[in-house]
Amino acid sequence: MKKNKYLLLLSSLGTLILLVGAAVQENFGKDWRKIQATAHSDEGPIPVQLRQIVNGTLRTSDRCVSCHVAMGPGEQSVTGSPLLVQHKKVVHDPAEYGCAICHGGQGQATEKEAAHGEVEFWPEPMLPASRSYAGCGTCHATLHVPNHQTYLRARATFERLDCRTCHRVNDRGGTVRPGGGSLEGPDLSRVGLAGYAADWYPRHLQHVSDAASATAPSPPPSAPPSAWKTAFAPVSGEDQAAVKTYLDLLVGAPQFVEAKSVFNSSGCLGCHKISGVGGDEATDLSRAGERDPGQLPFHEVAGRPTLENWLGEHFRSPSGVVANSRMPALAVSDQDIDWLTFYVLSLRRRELPSTYVPRDRVRATKLGEREYADDGATLFGTFCAGCHGPKGLGRRSPGMPSFPSIASPGFLALASDDFLIATIRQGRPGRRMPGWERDGGLTRDDIAKVVAWLRETSGTQAKPDPKPRRWVETGQGTADKDLGKRLYAASCSGCHGDKGQGIEGPALNNQILLANATDTFLAETISGGREGTSMQGFLAGSSSRRSLSPQEIEAVIAFIRTWEVTRK
Amino acid sequence: MSVKEPPSAPTALQEFVTNLKAAPRRIAETAVRSGTPDTDRTRSTFIFGNVFLHLHAVRTHRWTLRWAATLGLGIASVAAFLLTLITGVLLMFYYKPYTDVAYQSIKDIHFVVPTGRLIRNIHRWAANVMVVTVILHMARAFYTAAYRKPREFNWLIGMGLLVVTLGLSFTGYLLPWDQLAYWAITIGANIAQSPREVTDALGLTDVFDPGGLQKLLLLGSDAVGAEALIRFYLLHVMILPLALAALLSVHFWRVRKDGGLAKPADVDQRLGTPTVPTYPVFTMAPNKTYQLAAIVRGRTPAVGRGPENTVPSMPHLFYAELGVFMLTVLVCVALSVWSDAPLKELANPLVPENPAKAPWYFLGLQELVAFSAFAGGIVVPSIVLIGLGLIPYLDRSDVGTGLWCGGPGGWPLVRRSIAVGLGIALAVEAFIIRFGWLREWIPGIPQLVITVVNPGTVITLLYGAWSVWMVRRFSSARAGALALFTCFLCGFVVLTIIGTYFRGPNWGFYWSPADWPKH
Repeated sequence: MKKNKYLLLLSSLGTLILLVGAAVQENFGKDWRKIQATAHSDEGPIPVQLRQIVNGTLRTSDRCVSCHVAMGPGEQSVTGSPLLVQHKKVVHDPAEYGCAICHGGQGQATEKEAAHGEVEFWPEPMLPASRSYAGCGTCHATLHVPNHQTYLRARATFERLDCRTCHRVNDRGGTVRPGGGSLEGPDLSRVGLAGYAADWYPRHLQHVSDAASATAPSPPPSAPPSAWKTAFAPVSGEDQAAVKTYLDLLVGAPQFVEAKSVFNSSGCLGCHKISGVGGDEATDLSRAGERDPGQLPFHEVAGRPTLENWLGEHFRSPSGVVANSRMPALAVSDQDIDWLTFYVLSLRRRELPSTYVPRDRVRATKLGEREYADDGATLFGTFCAGCHGPKGLGRRSPGMPSFPSIASPGFLALASDDFLIATIRQGRPGRRMPGWERDGGLTRDDIAKVVAWLRETSGTQAKPDPKPRRWVETGQGTADKDLGKRLYAASCSGCHGDKGQGIEGPALNNQILLANATDTFLAETISGGREGTSMQGFLAGSSSRRSLSPQEIEAVIAFIRTWEVTRK
Repeated sequence: MSVKEPPSAPTALQEFVTNLKAAPRRIAETAVRSGTPDTDRTRSTFIFGNVFLHLHAVRTHRWTLRWAATLGLGIASVAAFLLTLITGVLLMFYYKPYTDVAYQSIKDIHFVVPTGRLIRNIHRWAANVMVVTVILHMARAFYTAAYRKPREFNWLIGMGLLVVTLGLSFTGYLLPWDQLAYWAITIGANIAQSPREVTDALGLTDVFDPGGLQKLLLLGSDAVGAEALIRFYLLHVMILPLALAALLSVHFWRVRKDGGLAKPADVDQRLGTPTVPTYPVFTMAPNKTYQLAAIVRGRTPAVGRGPENTVPSMPHLFYAELGVFMLTVLVCVALSVWSDAPLKELANPLVPENPAKAPWYFLGLQELVAFSAFAGGIVVPSIVLIGLGLIPYLDRSDVGTGLWCGGPGGWPLVRRSIAVGLGIALAVEAFIIRFGWLREWIPGIPQLVITVVNPGTVITLLYGAWSVWMVRRFSSARAGALALFTCFLCGFVVLTIIGTYFRGPNWGFYWSPADWPKH
């Protein structure tokens, strides 16, 4: 019976050893203890303890500072392990805001893998370091961001005018002037939020003239009057506007703004909604940056299963990544895909107490200000470019009907402004083009701007049409609907469908099209075709198909008009 | 005039101090009222004066204390249960049974709560150990023919405990609310719904739908969702543990009332006289029989003669029990330190796992369910359970009770049955993996045929045939039972291993997960 005693003794000892080992590991084996053990502050070694930043209002309790001690409140002087560096100087002091609110990850975890979200199947991993600024989107909504081209032009203007000679922006510029004494202007990195004098230009000129006359009644701060003599020269009105655009976008997060400008050039809001703005066709993207990678299909995505990799591959080949996706492939550069990934990662939200909601978010949600600029180019870039292409020349994507070219001169010459505006307002029911005059869409003013931009970018005005809107049937009355029906069946139904429902070509039985298109528009389109699409002119002869005479075209139009439901 | 008090009389204060000093000793004395257990009498009172120990007999037969007699499997099961109970209560402090936070709370337990990961690992490993030990305990009881008179009904209670154990494990499986959990439970629920296969084929589902009702009762909805989670949670932390505790009490009580563990009739000859240095066998020879013994089955101690082959339960039995208990704890803790409990992605009802697998102890069934849910998931398990339950009532002999593989046929029969059991299961599996099954041969085959002719029913029939042959050959029900039980155990092992390690996407056969197609 002794062996039972030994069994009890050995099992108990073994269990004890394992539990003590686990307890030691749990209490003394943690990395943060080792890191803190190496650390020193001005007053000598620091106490080794679990540290956290608590902000009850934000509901933050981040233990990241157990390892990143020097980022904690009042611990700037702590050094030792290479990990113990201070946080880069930022507006949002981590000692108040905590870490995870910007960087993501699991703030309460105390092991690196878990805290950074490098654990398998972690739903909310940290933002990759190169995309930290995407965290700004958690709270901030930068307003009136123009399209990428405008942004780049504005930035280039700022550089070209050498504003950086005196002004520091995003840690660059504002150095000592060579040979002219020191001239340090204010740091402009965040003037888009903090505000700046609207009359900066006349005041700069005033300083120059004051310096030249050497009277200098009120010397500008921090600069000897002599330095102003050569520091500033007149700036053209166009450049002034570009500088204003750039200054308004200086919010301390240049990547975040640039990513948004690329987003506002890619037309995603044509189908997707963000914060109530955009189309209804596709997924709401308001929180797309905090999606759980575990809920996404990764079969076709190379590399680690991160949201970042998934987004990149998804932009390259939407239907390859998501079965049955109806999103056209974007066909943009890798650089732009990178920016779009960045922007989508910034689409995250957190419930904030009202004292912490930033001004820009209040202006966006409460005052109805918009996150995109209101020029025609940006509006087109934000809402239309996804389907109609960045220049409006249409888009073909495998597996879906082609999206029409709306900026081609031939089309714009035929289509009156009224036709374009009516089409944008009402959309094409049954097709993917929604009506845009509605909540979360465009105002009449916006629509007019988009049309104006189309005209401007293609350099084409509508040809005046002397004929009445409907002349085919009210004219000589020669139009023969039966003939039209036969001709339609032979020549048109292959692309437009036997009932005009649209196959590869657009639907012709669409009531809004029929109501808005004039007979001239239809006749000219049939005879001349539409450049850039598979619609060839039928007036000209072709080796592959029968040409139509003007009378025959009128007959076809008369037949098409029979689909119109006349309201009584 | 004041009278001087005698100096020897203690003051109240002195008395207080003396009493205070004596308090720890007195607390101990009053807690264990019988004093140090060092004589037969005090050892006895130690046991029956203690509410927790009094289910034990005062003296334990030496046969029972041999390791080979029980392998400690019953105690190991109880130990694993107590471990899951304790760790489970700890987990309840942090777990939230709502679909929107359940997964997050498990993540917190795993990654944030101090020692949460170890506690969760122990809970998970102890649960698995419990399933294994319960099954093995049942096999032990079967092979030593311990189910025989007077223990027939305790065998049935033991089966109830097996079912409750599987139920506990299965309901706990859903709680993490990850993909693994979600789809395993979906499969389980579909098995519950499988009688619909038959009612559909007979066109009865509209009026009589027991399958749908079962699934609805289980899930509270058509699909695994918030209702299912709260149901499983309640079953897991309240209803099933209470049921288990109740059954367990009866199980223990019956062991005691049925005269302890089953022993062979000639147990005294088999053991021989105890070796001299054995711990005191008895210190006081009884001079009269105890009438109490009349209530307990078995023979009363003889007058004038000590029960040589029994030893005091305190301490011998308790060393054995505690030893097995701590060994189980050690195994569970070691496994928990070695391997983390799984936690996959958050449950996503739109993206099925492929392959979606049930908990491992149901993978043998899932292997059969892959062909038809009703036969594999309901009929075969029911036949097995009914067959097991009938064993004590069909085998009424008493040859070989208390001996491993006791009874006609013995170990050679069991050995041959292992070969037959493994052979039939492997052959049928190899056949269906190589040649497919009915639907591949005859696409338009009626569902009823599919349901009836399942590999599981085929295996069951073959096992039955072998068993009937053995009954005839040895003209003994025990021989048939030995054959059938062994075969089913082998079949369970084969099917479970194939289901666990060799089944991949779309339940296809793969030698290793490395061969699985990418998508």
